[in-house]
Amino acid sequence: MKIGVYICHCGVNIKAKVNVQKLAKFAEQLPHVRVSKENLYMCSEPGQQMIKKDIEEHGLDRIVVAACSPRMHEITFRNLMKSVGLNPYCLEIANIREHCAWVHEDKMKATKKAQKLVAAAVQKASLLEPLEAKEVDVVPAALVIGGGIAGIQSALDIADAGYQVYLVEKEPSIGGHMIQLDKTFPTLDCSACIMTPKMADAGRHPNIKLFSYSEVVDVKGFVGNFDVTIKKKPRYVDEEKCTACGLCTQYCSVEAPDPFNLNLSKRKCIYIPFPQSVPACYVVDPENCRYLKTKECTQCVEVCKKGPDAIDFNQKEQWVEVKVGAIVVATGYDTFDPALKPEYGYNLYENVITGLEFERLSNAAGPTTGEILIGGKRPKDVVFIQCVGSRDKTVGNEYCSRVCCMYTAKQAHLVREKIPNANITVFYMDVRAFGKGFEEFYDRVKMEGVTYRRGNPSEVYRRGGRLVVKSEDTLRGELVEVEADLVVLATGMVPSRHTSEIVSLLKLSQSPDKFLLEAHPKLRPVDTASDGIFLAGCCQGPKDIPDTVAQGSAAAARALIPLCRGKVTTEAMVSTIREDICRGCGFCVDACPYDAIEFKKVKRAGRQVEVASVNEVLCKGCGVCASVCLSGAAQHKSFKDGQILSVLAALGEEYA
Amino acid sequence: MDNQRFRDEAKRILSEGNVRCLIGYSKDAAGFRVSPLFARTEGDVERLLFSPLCNISLVNYLTLEKGALLESGARAEEEKIAIVARGCDSRALCQILAEKGISRERLIVLGVPCPGVIDLSRIEARFQGRRECAEVTEEGGAYLVRLGNDSYAVPKEELLAEHCKRCSFPNPLVYDVLLGEPVAQRKPSYEDVMAVEAMTLEEKEKFWKEIFGRCLRCYACRNACPLCYCDECVLERLSPQWIQRSVNGGDNLSFHLARAYHLAGRCAGCGECERVCPVNLPLMLLNRKMEKDMQALFGHTAGTDVEQKPVFSTFDRKDPEDFIL
Amino acid sequence: MLKKFDPNIVAFLCNWCSYAGADLTGTSHFHYPENLRAVRVMCTGRINPLFAVAAFRQGADGVLISGCHPGECHYMQGNYLARRKITLFRNLMEFVGISPERLRMSWVSASEGKKFADVVKEVTNKIKELGPLSAFEE
Repeated sequence: MKIGVYICHCGVNIKAKVNVQKLAKFAEQLPHVRVSKENLYMCSEPGQQMIKKDIEEHGLDRIVVAACSPRMHEITFRNLMKSVGLNPYCLEIANIREHCAWVHEDKMKATKKAQKLVAAAVQKASLLEPLEAKEVDVVPAALVIGGGIAGIQSALDIADAGYQVYLVEKEPSIGGHMIQLDKTFPTLDCSACIMTPKMADAGRHPNIKLFSYSEVVDVKGFVGNFDVTIKKKPRYVDEEKCTACGLCTQYCSVEAPDPFNLNLSKRKCIYIPFPQSVPACYVVDPENCRYLKTKECTQCVEVCKKGPDAIDFNQKEQWVEVKVGAIVVATGYDTFDPALKPEYGYNLYENVITGLEFERLSNAAGPTTGEILIGGKRPKDVVFIQCVGSRDKTVGNEYCSRVCCMYTAKQAHLVREKIPNANITVFYMDVRAFGKGFEEFYDRVKMEGVTYRRGNPSEVYRRGGRLVVKSEDTLRGELVEVEADLVVLATGMVPSRHTSEIVSLLKLSQSPDKFLLEAHPKLRPVDTASDGIFLAGCCQGPKDIPDTVAQGSAAAARALIPLCRGKVTTEAMVSTIREDICRGCGFCVDACPYDAIEFKKVKRAGRQVEVASVNEVLCKGCGVCASVCLSGAAQHKSFKDGQILSVLAALGEEYA
Repeated sequence: MDNQRFRDEAKRILSEGNVRCLIGYSKDAAGFRVSPLFARTEGDVERLLFSPLCNISLVNYLTLEKGALLESGARAEEEKIAIVARGCDSRALCQILAEKGISRERLIVLGVPCPGVIDLSRIEARFQGRRECAEVTEEGGAYLVRLGNDSYAVPKEELLAEHCKRCSFPNPLVYDVLLGEPVAQRKPSYEDVMAVEAMTLEEKEKFWKEIFGRCLRCYACRNACPLCYCDECVLERLSPQWIQRSVNGGDNLSFHLARAYHLAGRCAGCGECERVCPVNLPLMLLNRKMEKDMQALFGHTAGTDVEQKPVFSTFDRKDPEDFIL
Repeated sequence: MLKKFDPNIVAFLCNWCSYAGADLTGTSHFHYPENLRAVRVMCTGRINPLFAVAAFRQGADGVLISGCHPGECHYMQGNYLARRKITLFRNLMEFVGISPERLRMSWVSASEGKKFADVVKEVTNKIKELGPLSAFEE
C-alpha cells in the first residue's frame, strides 16, 4: 500500500486559513503514506503532472487529495489516475476548502481540523478497493404501453429514429381519449383532424408493430434487456382479411351501449370503435354477442363469407414475447366519476352531463351528429360547473386537473357557436388560463357573452320542469339560483383504473395523488426510478395535449439514449453482498428502492442456501441495504462499514 | 399439559419416517433442572416431558448450527425437525420465519399454551438442600412440588419467573400440533420500562453505569438469544471492528446498545438473555423498551406475523420528525 | 484549571443535498465553529445508528446526520428510512442516560448554505451546554 497525499493551496483560498506546509509534513507520518506534497493548484496541469510523476516513480496505488470539494474535481483526479493506469476509484478527497478554510476564522483550529480530515481521508484511502463499471448490451427496440396521443408520439419518434417499437393498446383502436374530443383549446383545431394523421402514421410505420386489443401481462429483466409478454385478446375478426366494409354491423342482431360515446348511444356487437380506427378492423363484443353466449345467430359470419370471410369465432387469446431495451408508459387517465358528488344530480337527471359527454354531443361523429341536444331538444340555458372532482378534499383529490378551466371555456364557446342565443353561465373557483393563447381565448369567450360567476355550486336540483344550480356568487356576496336546461360538470382527471396493474407490472411508484411517480419532479419529469422505464402523458399527472405531446417526445428522447448508445454502463460504486455470511433474511431486498436485490441459491458447507444478491445494473449505490443488514454481509463498495469506522477513528484522534 | 398425550404425539411424529429428531425437554435425575433432549427413539420419547420446570428456550437449536440441523431454502423432501415451543418460543419462531431464518416446511411445531414457568433460582432457594428429583404440576393458582415422598403446595407468584409475569403471548402463534388448552392472555404492560423512563437523565446514567460495569462480556446473552444467529456476529468481528472486546464501561455500553438496536423490532421477549446472564444484568429492560417504542412509534410488534416486513426496511410518510432541524 | 470544553462533533452528510449544501456554506463564506467534522455518504439511508456509537466511543461528543428533505431524496426514500432508525435510537440513548440531543438530524438541501451554518451553530452550542460525553469512556 503506497499512498500519495497532495495538499492544495488553491491560490490563497486554502492557504490563508490552513497551514498547508504543516499539513503536508503531518501527512508524511500517517500510515502507508509514501509521498506528501503541496501545490499551488492541484487541479492545474503542473499539479496533475506532479501526481502523475509520483505515481510512476514511487508506484503509488492510492491517492489522497486535500483540496476543494470532491464535487468540484473528483472527476478530474479520477481521469488523471485512469490515464496512468491506476484504478480511478482508489482516490479519496479531503474537503479542506468549502468545509474548512472557507468557513473558519481561527487558522490554528482550522489547521487542526484539516489534519483530522486528511488523516481520515488517508485511513479511508487505505481501505479503498479498485472498482470496475460493467457494460451491458441494449436490445435496439422499445415498448410503448398505451396508444393515446402520448404513446403515439413516443412511438413515432423512436420509430423515426430507426428503432423497432412495439405499441400495445388495450382498446381495439389506438386514439385514447383525444380522439373522443371535439374541438381543442385554444386554437379550436378539430381533435380527430389533427390526430388521425398521426394515428395513420403509427399504424403503417415500418418500425412500429401495433398490438391493438392487447395488454402487457408480464415484464422481466432490466434496462437494455426487458422480456415482455403481451396478451392479444381475440377480436374474432381476422385483421389481415377485414376490409372494414361494415356489412357485418348492418346484419348484427344485438345492440349494446356504446362506450366510445360514453353509453349515450348504442352500437352493434360487431363493430368498429369509430370510423377512423387504426387498425381499420372490426371487433366482436364478447360481453353481448349472442353467438359467444348461446351459439345462436351467425348473421355476421354469413354475410362476411360472401366477401372477405374475415370473421372467425375460433380465435383464442394469444401470447407474444418480445425483447426490448426501453419501455415508455403512456397509459393515460380516467375521468372523475361525478356520482361521487351526488349533490350535482348526475345519476338523477338526464341533463346533467360530464365534460367528456359534452365532447361527444358536440362532435359531428357523435350520438347527436354534433348538435347540442338534450332529450331531443336544444337547451336554452346552459350552466357549466368547474372543479368537479378536483381541488376537492372530500373526494380525496386535492390536485388541480389543469385542463378543465380551458376545456370549459372551449365548451362554452361551442355552445355559443351552436346555440347563438343560449344563456351560458360558468361557475368557477379560479380560471387557470396559463398556457400559450389561453388567456386570449378566455377573454374571447367572455366577450362572446358567457357569464363567469365565481362560486362553487352546492347543489343541482329539479324545480318545476327545470334544473336549478344553486351557488354563492362570492364576488357579489349573494346566493344565486340559476335555472338550466343543461348542466355540464367539468369533471377532472383521475389516475387510470388500471394504475395498480401497471404499478405492480413494472414496480413503479405513485405520487401522493396516485398518478405515476417521476424520478425527480423538476429535473427528471419523464424518468422513473427504474432505469429504462419512462413516463409520458397523463399517467404522470393531468395535462393538456401540447404538454402531452411534448412529454411523449421527451420520453422518446430519454428512451433513445440507451438504444442509441447500444450499451448501458453500470455505476461502479454499487453495493455488494457477501454470499458467505448473508443469512438470507431479506431485509435488504425489502429496503432497496430499486428492487435491485434478489435471492439466489448458493452452496454453503455442502448445502443449498438462499442468499441475497445485488443486480449491479440496477443498483444505484445508495447503501440502504448495508444499513439494514444485521450480519454485515451487504456493503456499499466505496462506503464500507470498515471504511467509515476507520474514518471515525481517525477523526477521534488528537493530533499534535 | 397431558404428558401422556404429548408422548403419544411425539411417538407418532417420529414414526412418520423423515423426522430427524424431536427437540424437547427431559428432567435431570436430581433437583429441579430440565435439559434439552434430542429424542430419536421410543426410549427417548419416554423421557420427554413438559412441566412448569421447563424454563429453557429450545428455539436456539434451530438456528444455532445452520448446517447441522436446519437451514432456510432447503428442499422439503429432506429430514424434518420437530420442536416443543411455548408461547414465547413460538413468537421467536414466528419472527425467525418472517426473516426466512428457517424453512417452515421442515418444521413440526408442538405448540404448548404456557401458563408460565418457574424461576430456577427461586425454587432452589425455596427448597434449599433438596436433591431429590422434583416433579412439579400446576393446580389452581399454585404449584404442587413433589420431592421424594413429600408434597408441597407453593403459591404460583412465589416461584413464577419474572418475565412470565409480564408475558402477553402465552399461546403459540405458529404450531402444527397444540398440546393443551389456550391460556388467558393479558395485555402488554411496561411498568418496569416506565420506571426507568421516569428517572432523570443523570439517574438513568448512574443506573446503567452500575449495570454495565458488572458486565463480563461473556456473550452468554448473545449465545442464548434465539434471534441472534448470524454466522459471524458483528459484535464480535475484528474486521470491521464495531465493538472493542475490552471489558470496560465504554465498550460494555457500546456492546449493549448495539445488541439492543439489532434486536429492536425482532426480540421475541423470551427472556433467555436475563436467565443466562451470570451477573444478573436486567437486559430485558432494554429489549422491552425497544418493543414498547416499536409499537408506539411504528405499530410494529415482533413475532406476530410471518409476512411482516422488517421495521427498518419500510417507512411511513408520517413517521415522527419533530426532532429534525 | 479547567480546560474550556471544545466539543468533537461528527457530521454525516448525504452527497446530493447536505454535502452540497455545506459546500454552498463554504462558497458563501458563512462561518461556523470548527468543532464539526464532516463524513460524506451517498445517502443518509446508508447510516447505521451504530456509527454514532462508534463515533461516541472514539471521542465524539455529538453526531449530526443531515440529508435531503422528505420527498427529495436522490435515492427516493433513504432519508425516510434514516429518520425511522434515528428516532428509535435517540429513544434508546435517552433510556440509558445519554442525552438524545447528542444525536441530531437535519434536512438541508443543496441550496440551503445559510441553514447549514445555522444548524452547525445550534448543534455545537447545544453540545457545549451538555458538556463532554463521559458515558463511553473506559
